[in-house]
Amino acid sequence: MNLPLANILHHTLRSTLSALGIGIGICMLVTLSGLARGTLYEVADRWEQVRADLIAYPDIWGDNLTTLSGVGLPDKYAGVFAAEHGDLVERVAPVFLWHLKLGGQDQTVVGVDAPDADVVLGGRGLLEGRLFDPDSRFSRWLEGLLLAPSSEGDSPLEIASADLSAPSHNGLELVIDSRLAAAGGYRVGDRVSAAGHEWSIVGIVPAGGMARVYMPRRAAQFLFGSGDITKSTILFVRLRAGADPSAGARALRKPGVMLVQVRQYRAMLEQKFGVLFRYVDAVNVVALVIAFLFVMITLYTMVLQRTREIAILKSSGASDAFILRQVVCESLLLTGAGTVAGLAMSFAAAWAIETAAPLYTVTITGTWVLIAVGAAAAGAIVSALYPAWRASRVDLLAALTLE
Amino acid sequence: MTDSDAILEARGLHKSFGRGPARVHVLRGLDLRVRRGEFLAVMGPSGCGKSTLLHVLGQMTPPDAGEILLDGLPVPPSAAGRNAIRRRRIGFVFQRFNLIDVLTAADNVAISLRVRGLPADGRAEELFAAMGVSHVARRKPGQMSIGEQQRVAVARALAHRPQVLLADEPTGSLDSANAADLLALLGRVHRDDGQTIVMITHSAEAAAVADRVVHMIDGRLLDAPP
Repeated sequence: MNLPLANILHHTLRSTLSALGIGIGICMLVTLSGLARGTLYEVADRWEQVRADLIAYPDIWGDNLTTLSGVGLPDKYAGVFAAEHGDLVERVAPVFLWHLKLGGQDQTVVGVDAPDADVVLGGRGLLEGRLFDPDSRFSRWLEGLLLAPSSEGDSPLEIASADLSAPSHNGLELVIDSRLAAAGGYRVGDRVSAAGHEWSIVGIVPAGGMARVYMPRRAAQFLFGSGDITKSTILFVRLRAGADPSAGARALRKPGVMLVQVRQYRAMLEQKFGVLFRYVDAVNVVALVIAFLFVMITLYTMVLQRTREIAILKSSGASDAFILRQVVCESLLLTGAGTVAGLAMSFAAAWAIETAAPLYTVTITGTWVLIAVGAAAAGAIVSALYPAWRASRVDLLAALTLE
Repeated sequence: MTDSDAILEARGLHKSFGRGPARVHVLRGLDLRVRRGEFLAVMGPSGCGKSTLLHVLGQMTPPDAGEILLDGLPVPPSAAGRNAIRRRRIGFVFQRFNLIDVLTAADNVAISLRVRGLPADGRAEELFAAMGVSHVARRKPGQMSIGEQQRVAVARALAHRPQVLLADEPTGSLDSANAADLLALLGRVHRDDGQTIVMITHSAEAAAVADRVVHMIDGRLLDAPP
């Protein structure tokens, strides 16, 4: 058996604690990065499932729409795009975005017309139940009240919550995804209270669509858009097959309208929340530095306690390089064990987090595992250098004669 | 004795420790010649500089002045040069064995060979068999008797086939029975293998196994080099 391994096995408790220190650092690195990036990229993944090429929104919102919701672009642009660029535009789906608290946390709600639901669901079908407002009776009822020419010039209509959910045209219906259903224990037919109204859950769709909660667009516009049902938040534009999205965005540009590609959403998220990544990474670096200081102290103590052993090696002619290799090898072995433990703890932590909080996503990628292994190896070598140098400076005569 | 007979020669060795008023002059112009294949015992009272002489001869510390020749060639004064001599040509047996506690007997021998860049194949088993300690090969020092530990230490010192074996009071920590066994072992190694041995000892019984005994006092040998 080689000397570093023998020393590690001989000092079981100290070795275990050192490896555990490394393991906790590695676990923090992998788990926190996996949680921050996993949760954010899961949103990006869902947006990329939308069956559209472009997003149109008011240009006053600037170049990042990731946190925006509520009243945005007039619905008339859907007709304008289709009419003026029929050769380019295949379909336009207006969507109203809002937020509701469901399943213990804020959820982005997508208000969409039932015929456009396949766009935001990425083509996913229902797992259970049905879609809201399936024959558009609610939409037509509300449009009749608010958009009919006879209502122009009249005083604003007073529509009671009970009217919105009348059995003949119930607009207070939700479709949720399977992950939210599992996390909140929701089933089709359940009634939930949110945003001051009672909602019925009428359907469950597979997770992976644009959002976790969907409702009739007209209901969202009316309730969260101050009664103005002429504006949505954004418009999804699907281009005809073979059209270049970038050229399409330029062609569709109108004054006051910003057009971006759906695939740019991930970059917008990274831009918006990049500071979160930097914060998490900074915490991870601090945790790793502390872990490796612990290793350095352990190795330094080991060198101080093992001057006789080192002197014995030197009395046999061991070179400074040989002594240095022994210390670095011991550090690498401790770190290797700690890294394996840390990765195991990371997978356990990911499972625990996703079990306790099912709406969080911890994504442990091969890249981050490699980063963790690389950081551990580098830390092991750096933290061993000073103890190794001290070891190579041991006075063999003093060490062997002070018995 | 001609120069070619001397495998180890010290000329005018001086060595002191400490500084200023605390400075102790341990070796004072010591001369010594050891013949190839000779078993030399160095005796003297405590504090006369015996161990320091052995450490200087073994290249564990450089002399302040003087010269050491090994096989007729001067030992390089650099740390790397002295290290190379230790690695290849000197074997050292300590009074307190100095085995590495966390390694088995076999691994103690193996690491001394690995340090020297030599293969460990079967060498420990061969030496343990010759020294009657094959049964402790897989034991750590704490699981061996002191006699067994010292035999393993001798095996380690001989593993790389050194030109000179330096033994610093090798029986100093042993009871009389174990001491007698060890001296018999050293005598056999010297007789059968022609191993050159320089042994420091307090004991007249121990010195009796040597071919030649020199006496040391106050950092000098009383007996003139042969």
